[in-house]
Amino acid sequence: MNFKFRSMAKAASFFLGAMCLFIAAGCGSSSSKTASTAVSNTVPVMANFGPPGAGGDVDVLFVSVTVCQHGTSNCTTIDNVKVDTGSFGLRVVSAAVSGVTLTQINESNSALEECVQYADTSYSWGPMQLADVQIGSEKAFNIPIQVIGATNNLPVPQKCLTTPVATGVPNGGNEDSLGSLGANGILGIGGEVFDCGSTCANSASNMYYICPSGTCQEVAAPTSNQAVNPIAEFTSSDNNGVVITLPAVPATGSVSVSGTMTFGIGTQSDNALTGVTLFAMDACGNFPSASFNGITYMDNVCQTGSGGFGAFLDTGSNGLFLLDANTLHSVDAAISDCTNTNESGFYCLTAGGTATLSPISLLGDGNVGSGTVSVNITDANKLFSTNNAEFNDLGGDSVVNGSATTDFFDFGLPFFLGKKVFVGIAGQAAPAGVNAPNGFVAF
Amino acid sequence: MNRELNPSLSPAAGQPGGILTHHVRTALSILLVLTLGIAPAWAGLGQSEASVTADQLHMKSEDRVQTFQAYKVHELTNPDGTVVREYLAPQGSVFGVTWQGRSTPDMNQLLGTYVSNLQTATPDQIQIRRQRGITIKTSDFVYSNFCRLRVCKGSAFVPSLVPAGVSTEVLR
Repeated sequence: MNFKFRSMAKAASFFLGAMCLFIAAGCGSSSSKTASTAVSNTVPVMANFGPPGAGGDVDVLFVSVTVCQHGTSNCTTIDNVKVDTGSFGLRVVSAAVSGVTLTQINESNSALEECVQYADTSYSWGPMQLADVQIGSEKAFNIPIQVIGATNNLPVPQKCLTTPVATGVPNGGNEDSLGSLGANGILGIGGEVFDCGSTCANSASNMYYICPSGTCQEVAAPTSNQAVNPIAEFTSSDNNGVVITLPAVPATGSVSVSGTMTFGIGTQSDNALTGVTLFAMDACGNFPSASFNGITYMDNVCQTGSGGFGAFLDTGSNGLFLLDANTLHSVDAAISDCTNTNESGFYCLTAGGTATLSPISLLGDGNVGSGTVSVNITDANKLFSTNNAEFNDLGGDSVVNGSATTDFFDFGLPFFLGKKVFVGIAGQAAPAGVNAPNGFVAF
Repeated sequence: MNRELNPSLSPAAGQPGGILTHHVRTALSILLVLTLGIAPAWAGLGQSEASVTADQLHMKSEDRVQTFQAYKVHELTNPDGTVVREYLAPQGSVFGVTWQGRSTPDMNQLLGTYVSNLQTATPDQIQIRRQRGITIKTSDFVYSNFCRLRVCKGSAFVPSLVPAGVSTEVLR
């Protein structure tokens, strides 16, 4: 994993900080992580259909992020940035930072570009640039972010598009704008520090590119140039994770939800790890095992390279993507895949019904953490007819035609409604007594 | 578990992948392909077992074979750890492929001519989980992929090529 690189980065940071003792100019923002007065560590988050032009996805969580030219007060505050615990690093659409000059990161004297391919065949493509990032009062200085769409007409490399774009996908293809991405950016604050880590640092991959003379080629990118989880780079001690607190919604949903995001875990009085069960994640960031209805679903993808993902929590999934319709049919015969195009990908139930999946037993890595959860799945047709945006009971299948060997539990944003969920970042200083080298979740 | 090296591989297969070793292996494999007169323009789904070798060369992967009563599986492990499995019917055509790893492997390679189903599928044949997942079902093609950053898994199969008595649940 990337711990080695992480500590090298920290060592470099320490060294630069030491240099600043002797060279005062230009070091003002390279502040070291010394103990200081606690900063305000909460920011409001909102879940709604997003601004006009965003496309109106259900179950998406947004936050405002301020991006500044490094070391200056030349800043812009970007609202409606999607909060995503399923990815790592900040990505913003170029239109949202058009008024701010950011510093281009180069590799081999060419601008470093990144391509992120999404599973629905869409993608984001744009340069890596350095920025100061502020979320609420928390600050990260001079960190790499991806400015998606600022490509200077460089076509996306075919090496990145390992899956041809499915033209029938709504908002498919290049997601480089509010309309296509459904947000002004993505704030990746999951349980890892770097978006790729040592794999992309050690050799060229199809994520990072340089395009000398307009022809793009894959390139290795050191972790110091990769998109980085901004929380891990906060100058305060609130850099080991995040707490997302969202209110409950009625079974028929809510048009809008307001909650809070609290930075740090066990670092201040408002983020203590109390009254929750902590689950250690495995090396892939998943619960290694989840059991339901007599079947255990393992994260075999991480362990043996086959099968399912076990289970995971992901605010960037806009539904509870759990098991598959065939499997659930044996639990509740009312469940099926929706057939109408505007409910496509979600579960429908006959007569507008609701199914309760309980108990779902979750196990942490190395048996660190065990517990059960219960979720409801309500007919998506009924939910969408309310014109609400946020639902705690919107489901869909994880794998169509799946089975016990391939199914998994993706607890998306609906799971977070009515809960206080902690996400601890791998390799960062965990609270005392926590044994979770790959990161953790707690709720 | 029944593990055996693919007998169609060159003798260098399975050795640590030093540059020289790798070049020798590639050269030998190409020689083998040329000698047998097999030079598939595409590989993967719907094609013969020889196409698996083309995929292996394309992805620079290691291969191991498992043989079951009604089908055979080539498991290709790429240098980045991505695992691709190709499921072969007794008649010798690839009826399904699966993949797991850090990213989605090259579908132009793995799906062969069936890749066009991705481009031509109509909205009513597509189900998406925004950015995270997609399912495409056309008349004789089923494709599913699910990813978040750093982890991906998916499968594709051709229902009409699945051997009689074999459940698609074997695709894992």
